[in-house]
Amino acid sequence: MTGNGYRTIAFYPDRCDGCNLCVEACAEHHAGSKEAVHSRIRVCGDEEGRYTGIALCRQCSMPRCAMNCPAGALSKDPETGVVCWDEEKCVGCLLCTLTCPYGGIVFNAASGRVMKCDFCGGRPACVEACTRGALELKRGADLYNAWGDLEDLVVPGISACLGCNSELLLRHTLRRIGPNVVLATPPGCIAGVGAVGVNGKTAVKTPVFHPLLTNTASMLAGARRYYNRIGRDVTMLALGGDGGTADVGFQSLSGAAERGEQMIYICVDNEGYMNTGVQRSGTTPFGAWTSTTPVGSVLRGKTREAKPLPLLMVMHNCEYVATACTAFMEDYYEKLEKAIEASKKGMAYIHVFSPCPTGWRFPPGKLIEAGRKAVQTNIVPLWEFELKTGRIRFTYPVDDPLPVQEYLSLIGKFRHLDEEQIRLIQEQTERKIQILKAFTKEGRDGDETRVEGVGS
Amino acid sequence: MGKIIVCDGNEAAAWGVALARPDMVAVYPITPQSSLAEYISQFVADGIIKADLMDVEGEHSVLSVLQGACLAGARTFTASCGQGLAFMFEPYFRTPPLRLPIVMSIVTRDGITPQCVWGGQQDAMTVREAGWIHMFCETCQEVLDTVIMAYKIAEDRGIMLPVNVNHDGNYLSYGVERVELPDHEEVDAFLGEKNINWHVALDPERPMGVDPLTGGAGGEGPALFVRYRKGLCKAMQNALEVIPAVHREWGERFGRFHAPLIEEYRIDGAEYAIVTIGSMTGAGKDAVDLAREKGERVGLIKIKTFRPFPLAALCSVLSKVKAVGVVDRSVSFGWNAGPVFQEILSALYHLEKRIPALSFIGGLAGADITVDHFMRVIETTGKALKGEVPSDTVWLNGPEENR
Repeated sequence: MTGNGYRTIAFYPDRCDGCNLCVEACAEHHAGSKEAVHSRIRVCGDEEGRYTGIALCRQCSMPRCAMNCPAGALSKDPETGVVCWDEEKCVGCLLCTLTCPYGGIVFNAASGRVMKCDFCGGRPACVEACTRGALELKRGADLYNAWGDLEDLVVPGISACLGCNSELLLRHTLRRIGPNVVLATPPGCIAGVGAVGVNGKTAVKTPVFHPLLTNTASMLAGARRYYNRIGRDVTMLALGGDGGTADVGFQSLSGAAERGEQMIYICVDNEGYMNTGVQRSGTTPFGAWTSTTPVGSVLRGKTREAKPLPLLMVMHNCEYVATACTAFMEDYYEKLEKAIEASKKGMAYIHVFSPCPTGWRFPPGKLIEAGRKAVQTNIVPLWEFELKTGRIRFTYPVDDPLPVQEYLSLIGKFRHLDEEQIRLIQEQTERKIQILKAFTKEGRDGDETRVEGVGS
Repeated sequence: MGKIIVCDGNEAAAWGVALARPDMVAVYPITPQSSLAEYISQFVADGIIKADLMDVEGEHSVLSVLQGACLAGARTFTASCGQGLAFMFEPYFRTPPLRLPIVMSIVTRDGITPQCVWGGQQDAMTVREAGWIHMFCETCQEVLDTVIMAYKIAEDRGIMLPVNVNHDGNYLSYGVERVELPDHEEVDAFLGEKNINWHVALDPERPMGVDPLTGGAGGEGPALFVRYRKGLCKAMQNALEVIPAVHREWGERFGRFHAPLIEEYRIDGAEYAIVTIGSMTGAGKDAVDLAREKGERVGLIKIKTFRPFPLAALCSVLSKVKAVGVVDRSVSFGWNAGPVFQEILSALYHLEKRIPALSFIGGLAGADITVDHFMRVIETTGKALKGEVPSDTVWLNGPEENR
């Protein structure tokens, strides 16, 4: 029953002031009394008096309460999505309350049985009573997706490969940054999926330009300088691949960073030239198979490690530098926020780890898992650098990193690796984390203690 | 009224830029253009040029930042030559099809290898098929005036193409002359309103995809591509009308008339002619004067505008003579001749009667082309009237055994 877009009641604790109007409205609707004992919703606070959550039925897609009910009193309505409760069948065993992780089923002492939210027939009294907007009736898919409300600035039906991370990134990035932008997409996957268009038709609703593979940062810099000159605030955004960023485009990027040009430069790092047939780039990792670092009886994939581009950009005194991964979208959105601010002063650089199902040889459905595992093994540490603090901060510290093999075994381009190569990758990964830690506050102050939350 | 200054060609070009009031200038130094980059920088520092200065990390970015600025609506300038131009080639090549009216000086220089930092026109000749308008100047005054006129030509609605104002490295870059500096307000009146990016724009208020992928084996792609190509060709042909008109207006406003496409010197009554381009023309004219005193019926044709190629104007004058000698300051490899000579040969095909044409190459690597050299050119070309045509290119500064 998943995927039907059933509705649920969302709660925003930062808007809740604990007035309890929702509790009273619920009780009144169901029992004709404002007494809290009749309410099917509870507002929960922490010790400091902040309202941190609600106890309320979420109308789960696969309700454990219904699975556990020995009497068949609980069932999911396939039409409305409401988890219905039949008082006649209930035997009062309370097994349902044990399985609900949300405290959504309430024991009613008066009846000796349970009761739960039924959405009041589609117009929940609690939501209507809330004056602060802390409760909202919305589709489950939209529950934590505030960005879903933003306009998609990319048209449907673009020509990306199945499971393409570039498309995911393009859509989300443009949503957040909005239409007051000039987008530059040099030759590569972002342009290849149709962002800049073909034969006079374009796929994005913003101004978009197809620079050379080599001059993205320079071109944007010139446009931004002129807009500054005439007093217009326009965001300059580059979405470049690793080839146009780390290799042949690096000179213009480096020059623009040195001059502090105001732009957001996002490198979509899929570790090679995926758009032209999976050739190696400067950010292809050690051991990886590509069509120009093949695996044979003599050669076993790439022999050198990837160029540490994000750190190179830190050393350019960028206003803001971050690494990101679409498996951690909340983290990416927070970094985009900071990049937008930073680009008002100078260059903001985000390096996005971008697994490629087509070129890396893994099933499209494993895209997010690949990203997650890369982070959990510390192969892709998530961090940010702010010029104003002058240090690196881990945004998703990994306490106990998984062995790199957990990530490598997912990806076809590493299938040939022998034990020695895997051991080397494990060592490289640990060494890189140590280098990063040296740029954190603790590392810089000479503190010998381990950086909190970061695996060694 | 303007004022009189004494300056070299690089400073003259910088004054031209100052008077044209660009929004953005980008520079990267290279010999013999370096002092032009320095003048521009100093003029910006002193407020004489009220533009944003982008001192970037190489010629590739020089033209790239200007493309970005121009697409946003800026009037722009830069200068380069030689290896710098070679390094700039990638963005250089796409400036005309984007129809960006960028103005750029090429302070012409010979190509390496062997290592050479001196004058020659190999750089400008090498990029002649990129789609830029190319004009070659003879004097420092012409450099200054042409830089200003270049904006009016580039920004003409029927053209919208970038313009190279070329002047010879060493000779014009460092040669000092008396130059008249026009009055700033009069130049403003001459240039009128800036006309930059009504046709392409990187502007959130009118979002569009600039330079989408165009072409492919099927569908409308190739036809669309051809439309762009033909549009550029049409713009080039339009320039053959606009360049003379702009020069005429300049002459009327400022009292200095420069030949817009070609200049005819003592062609009336000439039996044969020599063809020059750039700063060598002065020595060529002196030689023609000397030869005329000796009774030789020789004239001179100076090529000012090389792209678009002034075919009709050239045919008109070439049809009056019986032989022509062309002096190049660069080499067309594979033809064992000079590139201007090749162009003149093509033009001659359009005449009713075939006449002998001779190729001379001189002034490479900063070498002089003196009056003496031109006397040889005139003498050799004159013999062609009697059927004595050299079988090969004559190298004016070549080793003794080749003379």
